[in-house]
Amino acid sequence: MGSFSLLATLFAPFFGAVALIFVPNREALMVRMVAASSAGIALLASLYVFMSYDPNVGGFQMITHWPWSEELGIAFYIGVDGIGAPLVFASSILLFSGIFISWHIKDRTKEFYIFLLILAAATIGVFMSLDLFFLYFFYEMSVLPMYLLLGVWGSHTKGYLGMTDPEGVKLRDSVRFLFNFGANSKEYAAMKLTLFLSAGAVFALMGILLIYHFSPVHTFDILVLREQAKFDGMLADIIWLLIFFGFASIAPIWPLHSWSPVGHAAAPAATSMLHAGVLMKLGHFSIIRVAFEIMPETTQKLMPIAAVLCIFSIVYGGLVSYFAKDTKYVIGYSSSSHMGYIFLGMAALDYISLTGAVIYMFAHAMATGMLFAMAGWVYDQTHTRDIPSLGGLAQKMPFLAGAFIVACMASVGMPGTINFIAEVMIIVGSWDKYPIQVIVAVLGIVLTLAYLFRMMRGLFYGKLSPEYAHVSDTKDWVDRFPLLIMITTSIFFGIFPMHFYHVVRSTVEPMIDRIIQVAPVITQNAQGILP
Amino acid sequence: MTFDLTLSGSDLLLLAPEIFLTIWLCVVLVIDFSIKNIDHENLAYLSVGGIIATLVNLIWFDYVGVHGSLFKDMFVLDGVAIFFKIIVLLATALVLLSSIDYVKTFRFFRGEYYFLVMMSALGMMFMASAQDLLSVFVTLEFSTFGFYVLVAYLREDARSSEAGLKFFILGVFAAGLLVYGISLVYGETGTLVFSEMANAPGSYGLAIGFIMIFAALGFKIGAVPFHSWIPDTYQGAPTPVTAFLSIAPKGAALAILIRMFYVGLAAFKPMWVLLFVVASIMSMTYGNIVAIAQKNIKRLLAYSGIAQIGNVMIGLAAGTKRGSDAILFYLLAYLFANLGAFAVVIGVSNLIKSDEIEDYNGLNRRSPFLAAAMLLFLLSLAGVPPLAGFIGKLYIFVAAIEEELYTLLIVGLINIIISLYYYLTVVKKMYINEPTDSAPLTVSAPLKATIYISVVGTLLLGIYPKPFIDWAASATLMFSNIVSSTAATPVVLPVIGG
Repeated sequence: MGSFSLLATLFAPFFGAVALIFVPNREALMVRMVAASSAGIALLASLYVFMSYDPNVGGFQMITHWPWSEELGIAFYIGVDGIGAPLVFASSILLFSGIFISWHIKDRTKEFYIFLLILAAATIGVFMSLDLFFLYFFYEMSVLPMYLLLGVWGSHTKGYLGMTDPEGVKLRDSVRFLFNFGANSKEYAAMKLTLFLSAGAVFALMGILLIYHFSPVHTFDILVLREQAKFDGMLADIIWLLIFFGFASIAPIWPLHSWSPVGHAAAPAATSMLHAGVLMKLGHFSIIRVAFEIMPETTQKLMPIAAVLCIFSIVYGGLVSYFAKDTKYVIGYSSSSHMGYIFLGMAALDYISLTGAVIYMFAHAMATGMLFAMAGWVYDQTHTRDIPSLGGLAQKMPFLAGAFIVACMASVGMPGTINFIAEVMIIVGSWDKYPIQVIVAVLGIVLTLAYLFRMMRGLFYGKLSPEYAHVSDTKDWVDRFPLLIMITTSIFFGIFPMHFYHVVRSTVEPMIDRIIQVAPVITQNAQGILP
Repeated sequence: MTFDLTLSGSDLLLLAPEIFLTIWLCVVLVIDFSIKNIDHENLAYLSVGGIIATLVNLIWFDYVGVHGSLFKDMFVLDGVAIFFKIIVLLATALVLLSSIDYVKTFRFFRGEYYFLVMMSALGMMFMASAQDLLSVFVTLEFSTFGFYVLVAYLREDARSSEAGLKFFILGVFAAGLLVYGISLVYGETGTLVFSEMANAPGSYGLAIGFIMIFAALGFKIGAVPFHSWIPDTYQGAPTPVTAFLSIAPKGAALAILIRMFYVGLAAFKPMWVLLFVVASIMSMTYGNIVAIAQKNIKRLLAYSGIAQIGNVMIGLAAGTKRGSDAILFYLLAYLFANLGAFAVVIGVSNLIKSDEIEDYNGLNRRSPFLAAAMLLFLLSLAGVPPLAGFIGKLYIFVAAIEEELYTLLIVGLINIIISLYYYLTVVKKMYINEPTDSAPLTVSAPLKATIYISVVGTLLLGIYPKPFIDWAASATLMFSNIVSSTAATPVVLPVIGG
């Protein structure tokens, strides 16, 4: 039943996408229903996967193993551990919500849902791959639909910090293409995102191929590799760095982050949700799955790199968010700032902090999903994301304003939401090893509070411009329902986190044991902050 | 040495596919002459039927394991030969199907078109079996003659004539190099059969001879620096001919290259590995970078083809059984993606009479089917999962890393990103830009069939490649005793058939 649910979670969106090919485009309602029902199946199946994961047993569960090519040592090998299960769950929540969030898309509805379903299914696939080949397969597969989702259904942005739109910026200019932060067309954002992520993927692929070649058994099987593959010296460092920076480019760690806010800003709401919510976590997840599992010694040695870089992520992202004037830039940069917390939690290599980091991935997915969904609604209504020109929208959108406050609270880490638990665990767990980073992280939380409240005030309070007198609140259940799902999940696990904690902890504990036992360091012995 | 050509019935069995195709193409020609006002569409289906019958015959041979050699090893039928013949015939069948509408626009010589395509295919089938330098020369010229005519088929179009002339002059030059190279090799070794050269002592004459032969074959596959005819010829030739030219001769020439270097020159592996490393890096980088600037879709696909051949040569540079398996699989993946892309180009140019990339603006709104198919083929060429091209590229890279060819690997991986850029610019035109003319485009049935077959092939090879990987691996069993290191170890040639 368990492995069947896992397969259903993976294949329901794929089959939904295939089924949509045969639905005529003019039957818009039918298209939406097919998409929604396949996402609904995935959601229910992933809920079952998450709830039935047995933390007392631990390890990888609900395994399916089909030989795929003996010639190359590849098997279709899927299963979840305590890290994969919550992320699979988060992906399908965001997919399901995203389908309702994009209910009103009129232009080429069918194609939109096909690409959205493929994107989500590929993301889900990464979280359950136990074979390096399939991990890369799904990873790369999740990047390409983004190009079309951004390019076709995205919107042009108003520049980085709300600068005026410099007309006629030619994207072909290759130097500007990489370094021009003022470029603002959706095509530019889409191309930059795709090339950046593919380049990262290619570096990771190089690392994967080196692992394949230098392991004693020529296989892509992660479970075999983590037992039998031993790398040392230069080679280990090179592989680890390729894997780390290859995958960290999607995470995105500073200084590889520049594609991400542009991409978030250009993307349609549902895509931003999936993108910031789960796609970016592919980076952290893949680093944990590949680098932490297969090369514990090198992880111990080189993970301080992440501890250094995460400071820049947190501070830089936070400051840009504070000064940005475009709603999606604020949320996008806040996401890349919050990714720094996950890196901090990972870098400390501590039971509590890594557990916190994994929970934070889930928590951030919910919070940022809500924020992007609502920013998308506001944009659909007002056709602008320029915060200074908006204001007083709470008069017209009381429900949305209320939900927005909850989302901001969740994003900041208010007690009662799951983000609080995650943040506290990261901070407590990394204090012994990285006190400076923790201080920065705490200041970062204050900064988060500042820019989110600033944005909230700018959007919903103050004087309503007569230009926006016609805007309306979310009225239909299709519009409110997805927000409510995410809010409920966030608060439910904030109040009842025990199952969640045990699930993650059951996997984190042996993993950290393997990493730190190689060269034991004095670190806080984890009895857990929760009973 | 007397050269007796006594053949028994069982010997002729090895030649059955070729003999059948020879008879069939004569029948097609005779029907075209003798029946007045015959519908040429039926002639096309008749030709496709013959090709499919030959394909079935070959697949049966492969299944039963009919192997052997004829004419003092000049003609050999083994796993590799069967594989490449199937590639050539698949390409021919798909090209014939996609030509039907295009041929209707010809004013004369419609029936001869099908005859010429099949004749070239026949030549390439013999190429795949060539095991001797003499048969290499004869079969190579045999297959090229058909193409000389086909490339210049559009008599009123100056571009087509230019393409034909360019192709002819450079092709003849390459043939000259080939003969001269063969004469040098014969002078040094005293033999023309690959397997007998294996133990010949190295000498400058031999090296120069083989470099000349490599240049002539490099001309066929379009490897840098022998690529200069490709863009103009591809652009000027009738599009179905371009499609044919972009896959079938490359496949057949690669069959010769694999045989020649793996069998004949196994003792000099370190030297030719360097040759392929350099040619591969140049082809990939040049092809991909120049492709970025192209405005014409046929030229873009021409340069992308040069880059793809660079990828294939990574497999040759590896010089192992894994390398040759990877090449075989890669070619199969490339066949579907490339022919599919050309089929879309044919479909579009039949309707809007243009090959400019600008005219693909908003193709998704005009014909969602064509745009989606093109998207799939371009992404497969770029090597994006879950499509065939990804498995092909990965297979090639695995072969390269097993030989620790890091430079090649890094260049290959970086080139994936470069190629992604220009493939995505075409995707951008099709999906993101708005069409200037929003009249919907409809595709004819045979072309649709070609595109569907290519789509199915591209997806199947990407999602369930196991049978094809196993097939490629079993086809090259004869190379399994090639040692997987760069040490120069002479290879004991296995006895093939009997």
